[in-house]
Amino acid sequence: MRYEAPEKLSEQRRNGDEPRVGVFVCHCGGNISDIVDVEKVVEQIRKRSGVACVTTHQFCCSDPGQAVIEQSIRERRLNRIVVAACSPSLHELTFRRAVARGGLNPYLFEHANIREHVSWVVDDRKEATAKAGRLIRAAVARAARLAPLEKRRIPIHPSVLVIGGGVAGLTAARDLANRGIRVRLIESTPFLGGRLAQLYKIYPTGQRARDVIGGLIREVSSNPLITVYTNAELVEARGFIGDFHTTIRLVPRGATERCTDAQAAINACPEETVDQFNLGLARRKAIYLPYKGCYPSIPAIDWRNCTRCGACLEAGGVGSIDLDEKPREIVIRSGAIVIAVGLNTYPPRYGEYGFGQFAEVITLAQMNRLLDPTGPTQGELVVNGRRIRRVGFMHCVGSLQHEGVHKPMRDGRINQYCSRVCCTTTMHTAVELKTRWPGVQVYDFHEDIRTYGRRHEGYYDKVCRQGVVFLRFDPLRPPRVGVDPKGEWPLVLRTVDRLTFGEELEVPLDLLVLATGLVARDMSKLVDLYRCSVGADRFLMEVHPKLRPVEMATFGLFLAGSVQGPMDIGESTAAAAAAASKAAALLKAGQIELDPFVAEVDTSKCSGCRICLQACPFAATDRDEAARTAKINQALCTGCGTCVASCPCNAIQQRGFRDDQVEAELLALLEAEEPVGV
Amino acid sequence: MTKIKPFYDGLVLGGGIAGMQAALDLAGQGFEVLLVEKEPTIGGVMVGLNKVFPTLDCSSCICTPRMAEVAHHDRISVLCYTDLVRARRRNAGFEVILRKKPRYVVEEDCIGCSLCELACPYFAPHEFDQGLGARAAIYIPHGNAIPQVPVLDPDYCMLDGNCARACPKNCIDFAQQAEELSVGVGSIIVATGLRLTPMGAKKQYGGDRHANVMNPLAMERVQSSNGPYGHILRPSDGKIPRSVAYVQCAGSRDQSIGVPYCSRVCCMYALKQAIMIRHQRHDTQVTIYHMDIRAFGKGYEQFYRRAQSEGVRVVKAKVARITEVENGDLSLRVELIDEGGRVADIRHDLVVLSQGTIPGWRPEGALPLEVDDDGFFAIPDIAARPANSTAEGIFVAGVATGPKDIPDSIVEAGAAAMEAAMYLDRVRESAGEMA
Ligand SMILES: Cc1cc2nc3c(=O)[nH]c(=O)nc-3n(C[C@H](O)[C@H](O)[C@H](O)COP(=O)(O)OP(=O)(O)OC[C@H]3O[C@@H](n4cnc5c(N)ncnc54)[C@H](O)[C@@H]3O)c2cc1C
Repeated sequence: MRYEAPEKLSEQRRNGDEPRVGVFVCHCGGNISDIVDVEKVVEQIRKRSGVACVTTHQFCCSDPGQAVIEQSIRERRLNRIVVAACSPSLHELTFRRAVARGGLNPYLFEHANIREHVSWVVDDRKEATAKAGRLIRAAVARAARLAPLEKRRIPIHPSVLVIGGGVAGLTAARDLANRGIRVRLIESTPFLGGRLAQLYKIYPTGQRARDVIGGLIREVSSNPLITVYTNAELVEARGFIGDFHTTIRLVPRGATERCTDAQAAINACPEETVDQFNLGLARRKAIYLPYKGCYPSIPAIDWRNCTRCGACLEAGGVGSIDLDEKPREIVIRSGAIVIAVGLNTYPPRYGEYGFGQFAEVITLAQMNRLLDPTGPTQGELVVNGRRIRRVGFMHCVGSLQHEGVHKPMRDGRINQYCSRVCCTTTMHTAVELKTRWPGVQVYDFHEDIRTYGRRHEGYYDKVCRQGVVFLRFDPLRPPRVGVDPKGEWPLVLRTVDRLTFGEELEVPLDLLVLATGLVARDMSKLVDLYRCSVGADRFLMEVHPKLRPVEMATFGLFLAGSVQGPMDIGESTAAAAAAASKAAALLKAGQIELDPFVAEVDTSKCSGCRICLQACPFAATDRDEAARTAKINQALCTGCGTCVASCPCNAIQQRGFRDDQVEAELLALLEAEEPVGV
Repeated sequence: MTKIKPFYDGLVLGGGIAGMQAALDLAGQGFEVLLVEKEPTIGGVMVGLNKVFPTLDCSSCICTPRMAEVAHHDRISVLCYTDLVRARRRNAGFEVILRKKPRYVVEEDCIGCSLCELACPYFAPHEFDQGLGARAAIYIPHGNAIPQVPVLDPDYCMLDGNCARACPKNCIDFAQQAEELSVGVGSIIVATGLRLTPMGAKKQYGGDRHANVMNPLAMERVQSSNGPYGHILRPSDGKIPRSVAYVQCAGSRDQSIGVPYCSRVCCMYALKQAIMIRHQRHDTQVTIYHMDIRAFGKGYEQFYRRAQSEGVRVVKAKVARITEVENGDLSLRVELIDEGGRVADIRHDLVVLSQGTIPGWRPEGALPLEVDDDGFFAIPDIAARPANSTAEGIFVAGVATGPKDIPDSIVEAGAAAMEAAMYLDRVRESAGEMA
């Protein structure tokens, strides 16, 4: 037998620490007590050795509920506390705090989950009651053996790494720097601004997108506390909250700060390629600036299309271009990380509503480029050489998909979710269209119109008054795109309209705009490096949408903006500011408090065999070569227990999870059942 | 109760989920915060909800610990049952005049034992249960209220002294007066939340006349196991409803009642309540009459589909009028879009009107803030600075800036706290430069 259970408790008693466990059973306003016979449980637990009192409460987590715990600790001289309620992930911290206010060490507390583990999953009242009783008595057995513990306090590196240079990343960086915090922002492309820079006007203010992003970039680039790295790729990440080490690779830009005549260099370049900034509607050179006023204003070379012919070098002047610079890697240390890598628009597949088949079928994002006076058509409504007179908008392309109707994405999953911004963007675009070209006929094909936000409904009302025709289709029978048999128009859309009570209609068009949805980027590297949780919708997942909406499960990682799911600009900036607020609170505290559940080595038993060094997934174990024993780095240890299990000498124990504590808990759990009921 | 200091870095107006979160986030960054709530308890609308979409978490389980955290925070003071009289600019901050309304109970001495409440023989409709149950004339607002101190309602009190005799701490004070306080604050966050449109707003629905036409907050209480009935019953006769109808946009997207905008949460709470009805009563039919289902948030469309797969009927239809027929049942005249526009009279035994969301408070001179024509606080730069009001040093969060759900309110509260923190830094820096 490896266990030391009996001695431990008697040793504890000899030291005058006779357990007096207080047990608090929560009704959770019926969530628990509707299934579990709380009174019966109380009766059973009251008889257990070491239990000094058992109390019930409607909501233990509420202020009055917590007050009862505090008061009982004082009045009944309790020295260990068990709360049987919901999941510890929800309220362990709440109760530890209450225990501390009652005057006890907060780690003399044990949480029994009788909601998620019992009342929400067991239907039978008798079984549920028995299971709740079992879980509570196990918690009592364990609680009786708990020892006071102190939190670990570790210093925090006073800076934040922001990943992503779109509107959310820029906002988070600006806000943190405004609070005096050092920020490093990395962007994977050569230019800042993200998706917002590609839009024309934004709802609901009608501002020029470029003014909004330009203002933000100016604030960021002029703040001495912020360092921006463009063309930066993530390579490796190590560390933990308070001290992350992120290795990035900086891909050379090609052009240097000495490039004074960028346009000459660009003009000289003989290589042309698709202009991604204009979403394929134009072409650009292999050395390029995406748009006038972009940041940085130094051109970048697109290495995939550059032949290193040196033409730009001659035109740009001495030292303006460096074709031989090698990528370099640097390590960025930070106390916290804000992830703001944004999202992508859904790429319609070939033939989806005629996309790719007909030049007259484009996406809403492309439409935004067409409307922009600085865009590929100088703001003229011309597609495929034709002046446009009849435009259709198709909603929910790549969103609200149905099994069997829509083909899955590459990962085999369809996009069930709503992309949130496309309805209002469509209405806003239609307003722009009807205002600039009142003669253009506009048709809107939708399933639902979801103009949910402030002032959004106004656009919907306005286009109705401007004469846009709305047709509602059945999502299981979406419209079909074909050629006009009469050859008068490039396209014809056939649909069954629910608003005219099921009439079959043919709508000739010369432009069809697909309101494509929003999809998560390929974030596999990031997800891998930081062990992020990802939802079924492929977006990053917050810990809890209401309790911790901008935090990730790994401490010290924060989410900003649409990396979490579709959001509009205002929603992204609000989320970014909220993430900044959390990161600022973390850094301003100067140090971090971590749970004390780390492993510790009993050097008198350690043989120095090194097995634990290999077992530790976090490189927290090391060997003291002089003493020839293992040692554990308290800051790196996550309390996973792997080393404890691997030690052949039983020399490692984990605080709060000592063998005797776990054994006592298991034995109580497996104890023969008292007869329940009559 | 907390002792009020002469100066705070931030005043948070409104103790709903947005206000509480803003207070926690500002205090979390090291600032001193005063939270002022006009009602006798903090918690706002959320503490009265049953479960919350789309996770179906129990609302109390998320809201009440937040309330406790606010109440116990070293850097947050809470003043309930207090109105803001006005705020005047002083230096870079504000001087605020607050009016603490009389509870007729000495708060410092009260131990929250409820003996006064039990001794009181006079009853009034229970506000927390949307008037469906009763409470005494002296009462603690609800079991999770903070603080656990009763208020005496002079409209129902007969001054016969039962409560005073029952009180073990001698803290009933019938002569208590309102108290004015003046506090200096560096910045203000307004999170004054929502109200619903009045039940009588649409005459043709008879929400104020028919007993079995309910408001959705009342439905939340009815579904709560700690609510007035403990489970779903209809108000007129306590019968278990067999067929429940939801009328969507009953107070939104409607120029005729002055609410042209979308209230943003009604589709989702109707689906949520419908699911909960189906969970409690498997054989009760629930039909949602709507124009568009706006399930736009994270996980919301999936929630909508789940509701349908759990048997909730979602019907595209316009409801023209609701009439009361025999037994308190209701007949709905509807135009069924998907049945060729057929007009039908459909009978249900309980109807919930998904009413619109309107601002919880209008400043009317108390704060130098502008409101938009939708009645909510104006945000000049809603895309780039969504928490900044029209006045320097005043920030806004939650439904005070337009209808929204709890996750969006919480995120916005974080943004407002960040803006306030930056503002306070800026002010200090320039004060430092001047000195
Ligand atoms: C029936 C219904 C069901 C819902 N269900 C859900 C759901 O399941 N999930 C979800 O995410 N959302 C839901 N919502 C939306 C949710 O209730 C709101 O998003 C949220 O409560 C808003 O919080 P708030 O703090 O902004 O406002 P409120 O909760 O209204 O808080 C505002 C607070 O400010 C106080 N106040 C007002 N004026 C003043 C003043 N002058 N001085 C001091 N204090 C003042 C008020 O008394 C109140 O306490 C639902 C809404 C309704 C109506």
